[in-house]
Amino acid sequence: MGKIIVIALNTFREAVRNKVLYFLLIFAVIIIGFSTVISDLSIAEPEKLIKDLGLASIDFFGFLIAVFVGVYLVYNELDRKTIYTIVSKPIDRTQFILGKFFGLLFTIYVNIAIMTFFLFAVVYFRDATQYDVMTRAIWHETGGKFVQVQPLWLFYLKVIGMSGAKSLGTMVGYYVVPLTAGLMKTVLLSALGLAIITAFAIFYSTFSTPTLSAVFTFLTFVIGSLCEDIMRFADKIAEAAGGVGALAGADALKYWFCRVAVLVVPNLAYFDRRMEAVYGAPDITAAMTGPPLLDWQTVLYGFTYTGAILCLACLIFRRRNFK
Amino acid sequence: MNVIETQKLSKVYTHDFLDVENGRLRFNLMRRTTALADLDLQVRDGEIYGLLGPNGAGKSTTIKILMGILFPSSGRARILGKDLGNKAVKARVGFLPENPFFYDYLKGAEFLDYYGQLYGMSRSARKKRIGELFDLVGLPPHAPNLPLKGYSKGMLQRIGLAQSLLNDPKLVVLDEPQSGLDPMGRKEIRDLILSLRDQGRTVFFSSHILSDAELICDRVAILNRGRLVAEGDMAKLLGTAVKEYEVWMAGLPQELIESVAPRARKVIDNEEGTLVILEKQDDADSLIREGLARGGQLISLTPRRETLEEYFIREVSRKPGQSSDQPAQPAGKQEENV
Repeated sequence: MGKIIVIALNTFREAVRNKVLYFLLIFAVIIIGFSTVISDLSIAEPEKLIKDLGLASIDFFGFLIAVFVGVYLVYNELDRKTIYTIVSKPIDRTQFILGKFFGLLFTIYVNIAIMTFFLFAVVYFRDATQYDVMTRAIWHETGGKFVQVQPLWLFYLKVIGMSGAKSLGTMVGYYVVPLTAGLMKTVLLSALGLAIITAFAIFYSTFSTPTLSAVFTFLTFVIGSLCEDIMRFADKIAEAAGGVGALAGADALKYWFCRVAVLVVPNLAYFDRRMEAVYGAPDITAAMTGPPLLDWQTVLYGFTYTGAILCLACLIFRRRNFK
Repeated sequence: MNVIETQKLSKVYTHDFLDVENGRLRFNLMRRTTALADLDLQVRDGEIYGLLGPNGAGKSTTIKILMGILFPSSGRARILGKDLGNKAVKARVGFLPENPFFYDYLKGAEFLDYYGQLYGMSRSARKKRIGELFDLVGLPPHAPNLPLKGYSKGMLQRIGLAQSLLNDPKLVVLDEPQSGLDPMGRKEIRDLILSLRDQGRTVFFSSHILSDAELICDRVAILNRGRLVAEGDMAKLLGTAVKEYEVWMAGLPQELIESVAPRARKVIDNEEGTLVILEKQDDADSLIREGLARGGQLISLTPRRETLEEYFIREVSRKPGQSSDQPAQPAGKQEENV
């Protein structure tokens, strides 16, 4: 366990000293900040747009880091032959892969935490700077006259400080308000989904090039995210033919291909609770083809899947010759 | 006790099924390349053992198999009495790969600290050892705080050597430790290898710098095309017999030079004197006697033994004609096993 942590921390250090990560993070933070401007274009409930865009950004940039850092993690060690000195040390190759995985996951989670902090801060900031709230805070009516009780800059300074504090409070579950209810759970579940994607990125990179690994991981992500649609498509084909038994030719092929594809890749829809958190629960669960998973089942599913893919990655890596 | 022992160690590479060679598609069904064939080696405790051979001889393959980087196709190997991959053994072995490249985002001290942690060393042990190693391998004082991307090739080689000594190893395996170093650096590495042996460690290294290997190795193995062509004590391999005599004299009369020329291997005549290389001691004696009698002066007389380089070139160039099915008969090996 100690050696896994040593490798994980070094992987984290490698990622932190990689400038690409900062560009991604800055870009994500800009998008989250920019969402307040876009939200003004929304007819009703602009904060929903901020939340939706923010959560989507967290998911998307987490995915980008998982893919673009993940596919190079193992490859770089092989390409630069640093693996030679690593495997000659008293460690298992399994420890190496697990160390790399947890190091990258830690990197992604630190980034998610920063992005989440900004998202919550932006939501609270926008809430506190709505026209009527702001007016009431700055001007007081006394005897039919409006008196400015505090300068504008002081008001903004206070709001920024309070937004940051509230954001931190929400992240640790201390400050719970309807405005951001359910958002933290959404972030945590999507973080679990990213663990699966990270495991896949590392799994692919144990036996192929970074470009191919990135393509494979991206396809896994796309198919995984569309699992529900693919299943519905398969059901439609079967329905049109009048039952699974009546399927023949190209239709049978399509049906079984969809069925197998869905079985092989993880169903990432389980980890996408954005719609539910932002717009309310009912319709998204109704759209699921299977019965919706309970939270603990989703967590169990995520852990099992990640573990299984990591086992496969270790199995392959243990037998590899490093030329 | 044998520190390293291999029995019929072989490595065969299978090619990719489809490949592009010289702009043409090539199908490689069942195509194989033998990188190492039936290697038997014994490295004894406390000796400096050199693994020599031209490029592509299988030196690096042998070392990579021993270090768990490659898996052998057949045969077996043991290090410190245990099968390959044993963690307790790995903890007592240090390894420097060829042309090492390390994490360029780490500083020198951070890098050694990371590897020290992989060895499971305590914080205080790491701190003490890392300080010692920077001095031992001759890195400049600013090296610990310099990122590895700012290291020169020679500095990388030195810090690579430092990481191979972190765990105070019983066996040090070095793959081409002198590549990329200038003559001064090469000498320092040579001295370091000798001092490692004096500290009771076994050093197993590959090299194609034969003059250096000749100076420091107790025993050597010569590989060519994946096969062992010679193995044994340096003295036994090269023999103690004098191969030729170099006589350097000044003021020799022209007719004496001409009369000795047919029996000489080489005659070099210039302003400073005449260098005559003779095979037989009698010829050298008579040349010196006659030269001195005719007023010449003897500047030097050097008896020359065969160098490792000459032996190496002879062995390596002799073998290619041999059928690849038959393993080369290791010269000197029978003597070794007695």
